[in-house]
Amino acid sequence: MEGAKKKNISFFGVLNDSRSCAIIPLWALCPVFSVLCFFVQEVEGIMENIIGLSNIDVSIIFVYMLGTLLLGLFCTRYIGNAEDFFISGKALPFWAIGFSIVVSDIGATDFVAVAGATFRHGVSAANFDWMGSMPAMVFAAFVFVPYFWRTGVFTIPEFLGRRYNAGVQFLNAAIWAVVLFLMLAIMLWVTADKLMHTVLGWNAKWSVWLMAIVTGLYTFSGGLTAVVFTDVVQLVVMYVGGFGLLALSLWEVGGWSALREQVLAKGPEFQQHFTLLLEHDTTGPFPWTGIIFGLGIVLAIAYMSGNQVIVQRTLGARTEWDAKGGMLLGGFLKSMIPLMVALPGLCALILVPHLPVEEADRAVPEMIRLLLPTGLRGLMFAALFAALMSSISGTLNSASTIFITDIWGQGLRLFKCKPLSEKGALNMGRGFTAFLIITTAILAKPIADRESIYVFTQTILSMFQGPTLAILLLGITWPRATQWGGLAGLALGVIFCFILNYTPGLFTSSEPFLFVAWWSFVFSLVVTVVVSLLTPAEPEEKLRGLTWGSVVHSSEAQAALEERNS
Amino acid sequence: MHLETLLQKYCAIIFYPILSKIFHPINHLLAPIYKPWATIAAMSFFVGTMIWVGVILKESYVNEGRPNKSIWTDLRLWTVVSMLPHVFVYWYFR
Repeated sequence: MEGAKKKNISFFGVLNDSRSCAIIPLWALCPVFSVLCFFVQEVEGIMENIIGLSNIDVSIIFVYMLGTLLLGLFCTRYIGNAEDFFISGKALPFWAIGFSIVVSDIGATDFVAVAGATFRHGVSAANFDWMGSMPAMVFAAFVFVPYFWRTGVFTIPEFLGRRYNAGVQFLNAAIWAVVLFLMLAIMLWVTADKLMHTVLGWNAKWSVWLMAIVTGLYTFSGGLTAVVFTDVVQLVVMYVGGFGLLALSLWEVGGWSALREQVLAKGPEFQQHFTLLLEHDTTGPFPWTGIIFGLGIVLAIAYMSGNQVIVQRTLGARTEWDAKGGMLLGGFLKSMIPLMVALPGLCALILVPHLPVEEADRAVPEMIRLLLPTGLRGLMFAALFAALMSSISGTLNSASTIFITDIWGQGLRLFKCKPLSEKGALNMGRGFTAFLIITTAILAKPIADRESIYVFTQTILSMFQGPTLAILLLGITWPRATQWGGLAGLALGVIFCFILNYTPGLFTSSEPFLFVAWWSFVFSLVVTVVVSLLTPAEPEEKLRGLTWGSVVHSSEAQAALEERNS
Repeated sequence: MHLETLLQKYCAIIFYPILSKIFHPINHLLAPIYKPWATIAAMSFFVGTMIWVGVILKESYVNEGRPNKSIWTDLRLWTVVSMLPHVFVYWYFR
């Protein structure tokens, strides 16, 4: 164990490690290779395949995927125990956390789906990376992150279990497990269908398995360390490719003013394509009231503070400052994403006018095919695969953490079995990772083959984010919140979400997930407060080190926490 | 898909009569409120967050664990720098 710890501490000095230098050049080769290929193609006229990618582009994508796999496998040497696997041995610096948060977060729902949503609804879709990111990430950085970091938990359900009871922990973990499973299925299907099938012409079913094997293998072996380290490399590739696409798209349409003029001239249904905040009674999915209340106050904060995929990176920080700084850096980088994905989505309205609205999610792949030369096209697709692979690996790792800590661990406690040893937890985490990726690969198509992936994803999230945020906030800030209040708030809140979502005609918006999130949050707050006031208060002993005042200001409670964590 | 349709029919019969009495008046109340209030609300969201971190929270709490005293490691500065462009964006796309 000591040995493993020692190795892990030195991991983020790995770039200076001569052994890692054998792996890094694989990425360095990608941009160099792609530029070279561009010139080679100009001279020799390499024959392109029918869907527009040359053999060289395909080779770049292969080299990239192979490189990611090798780097992930390389990280295996730094995994000695469960803490290394799940939270990277608490050794992550702020820049790695920031990069990893962004890359893990943008995947299926951004590069492909936000561009599609922008094509369909205009820049209002970009609210999810502006209103839906920075304020929530600042709030998470200064309220939730220091709090979780100091309490030393692995997962959010684990915290809810300590603050409320095992029922709340299990219910929240089970909901997250289902959601992460659905997200994984969506990500796999988007990669296979919208990218590999559309662009490479490969069979979508086999592509799902290819992605599952590559990402599953390195997440299985290297845990969070592999996920974060591959994320750092992938972010660089993604941003180079993304900004390249933006520059070429704007160049092709004749600049920003020309883009604006041409889109507005397309007809009355495009007049609001440059308005971020739409009126309350719009029939589209993004009314301004929903954006500010549903997204800004509920969905975004719940996502950034309660999403295991995001929080797990900050829990692995080496200091509290790194955890907060990583969140802020991540927010800043994330706010650039609409420039890379939403604006090319708008340009696609002009450059790919024949694209039907119901196939809007193909906007970015079509733009890449249309605008980028051979070599750079391969690199850009490698960037898209990077985004999707990192989301898949991050979600896989988080899902296995929740399963081991909150579902399997709770089950063992319930049946009074011996808790898992460090080695046992590590093996179980890896086993579950393998099981999960295989199951999602089998079920990816039936789950995720939808018209608008983005709205489907947000609808899934809105079904429980409001209630989770309500009990999380009250659990931290209000010592009078009781275990029964928390359980009732979460369970009834989720039921209320379903009712709101499936009762037609309550809101003018055709996809009212933003309102569902807001009103379920309000409902859960009320239920938790009422039930808490009707049930006996929790003993002071149980709350020590778990409520805001005691965690942030009391050194005595800190000592109690450290004792409990050890 | 079939299950979703059934659920919608069930909810429409059982819950719509009650819930519409709550949500329809709220919709009527909010419908006429749009520009410039939407833009003002969005920009206030960003400005308010900056003020909260920069002025209201204690410096020692914001920068707990800071590696050195250099201005570049002050997370209050990070917050303001990363949020200001958003204020501009919401003003531009109003």
